Amino acid sequence: MNLSELAYMFPMQPAGQYSRDRCITGVHGLDEILRGGIPYGSTVLAAGTCGSGKTTLGMEFLVRGADAGEACAHFTATEPSVKLLENIRQFQFFDVKMVDSGLINVFDMDVLYSWLGLEKSSFDLDDVHSLIKAIVDIVNTIGVTRLVIDSVTTLCYKIKSEQLIRDFLFTLGKKLATLGCTTILIAEITSATENAHWSSFGVEEAICDGIIVLGDVERMGHLLRFLQVVKMRGTPHSRAKHAIELTPIGVMLTPMLKWGAVSDSNSRWGA
Amino acid sequence: MATEFTFDKEDEKFFGSVGSFGVPKFDNEMNGGVPRGFTMVAFTDTGSGSELFAKQFVSPAEEAENTLYISTNEGQAEIVRIFQKYDWPLDINVRTIGEEYNSNVLEKELLASRYRLEGFRLEDIQRLAQTRFVDDSTQDYLTEVTNEIMALGPYFRAVIDSLDFFLQRDDPSRVVAMVRMLQAHAQMYRGLLLISVSNDGLSPSIKQELSSISDMVLTFGVRTIGSDFETSMIVSKFRNAPENLKMLVFRVTPEEGITPETVERIA
Repeated sequence: MNLSELAYMFPMQPAGQYSRDRCITGVHGLDEILRGGIPYGSTVLAAGTCGSGKTTLGMEFLVRGADAGEACAHFTATEPSVKLLENIRQFQFFDVKMVDSGLINVFDMDVLYSWLGLEKSSFDLDDVHSLIKAIVDIVNTIGVTRLVIDSVTTLCYKIKSEQLIRDFLFTLGKKLATLGCTTILIAEITSATENAHWSSFGVEEAICDGIIVLGDVERMGHLLRFLQVVKMRGTPHSRAKHAIELTPIGVMLTPMLKWGAVSDSNSRWGA
Repeated sequence: MATEFTFDKEDEKFFGSVGSFGVPKFDNEMNGGVPRGFTMVAFTDTGSGSELFAKQFVSPAEEAENTLYISTNEGQAEIVRIFQKYDWPLDINVRTIGEEYNSNVLEKELLASRYRLEGFRLEDIQRLAQTRFVDDSTQDYLTEVTNEIMALGPYFRAVIDSLDFFLQRDDPSRVVAMVRMLQAHAQMYRGLLLISVSNDGLSPSIKQELSSISDMVLTFGVRTIGSDFETSMIVSKFRNAPENLKMLVFRVTPEEGITPETVERIA
């Protein structure tokens, strides 16, 4: 059998026509940037500065999934869930019934640590594996298809070795992908400038399938929030910076014009 | 300077200057009993009868509501059984730290091990998703016990059986500081305080400190003679009354509990 016969038996799709199934984020403008959504099972790092809209973006991602009947989970490590839910209530897109009905399951990391006997300042290998097992158990048992961990930075502070952080994120991402769960790991960064890392520990960005950066940019004396998809495996996407507006009906993304930026020695990303 | 406390004349008359050990023969050997305001430390060997002595010590319970028995090893049911057996008063205050520790800490640890090994069940996950606050059951038993004894009024009677629980879980210097506070409280309020501590694993420096803080030091021992056990109690310190230093061999009788037999003078 020659190669042409094999090619006849197993026809391949022409390059550029194959596309992975997408998890439609439902966030206004983001699916267009991602040419249809996040590839299913991806682990995406949403890295942003303080107040850049990371938590809102993560929560809207879950709410849009819950709207479509998907089971969603949110692990909060940066603020108590009570506070998170109170803050998110101001958005019209959020309905607390989604939490009450179990479509969106909000877990306090402190409570999870306590249940697992992990109330300690640093985690060893066993602790990390227990944590992965617990998260994967939850995802598997209730069939979670959308997961947000807010934030992975706070969580990783307890893991002292870079190697362990790498193992944790890699293993967690791999297991969640196997379960078909699309995950957003929120990361806190101090600066979204061009030369900055997009993660606190330097390993998250390398392991994740996608990176979405959120930050501020100064334009005509105004501080604008921006969002930029830096990397997304499995899909072509725009790498342009988009202005992000947190409106009562949700996150709105609009392309950011390239002119009009104020450039100075502390120039921010894209300025 | 310590705050002075004025005692009621009637109370002074009722309680007197000495209290009973709860063992009449021992009271006689100690010239009437234990002076009010004394803190006693009992260094004990396993099986030497010190737990029974500790219970017997609270049995006179001049004021039941001002009498406190703290056990770190036994449960309520076992303590009640012994008190009933010897017909000692049951209306005193009893706190079983060991039992509390088992239910608050060990059960939680066991559950955590189950979650880690077997994972979460659906009902666990549902409960976890609805739990908004950490159940902060970590307790500082040392502070609690100190506060509980410090809250007792004049002429109180209290027992801590035993200090081992705290020495194993807390900084020993903190435990010694607690004993020092309790000794001052007992002295000021003319209370009677008995603290037992096991000889096994006790560091010489801590033993020395506890001995120097206390007003009376007892050592409970057990040895074998032929095929029998002989239990004994040595009084190696009795503040301001060295004539009371003695060695007493005792046995346990169903009627009286700890009953001294012969007496040997060691000073």
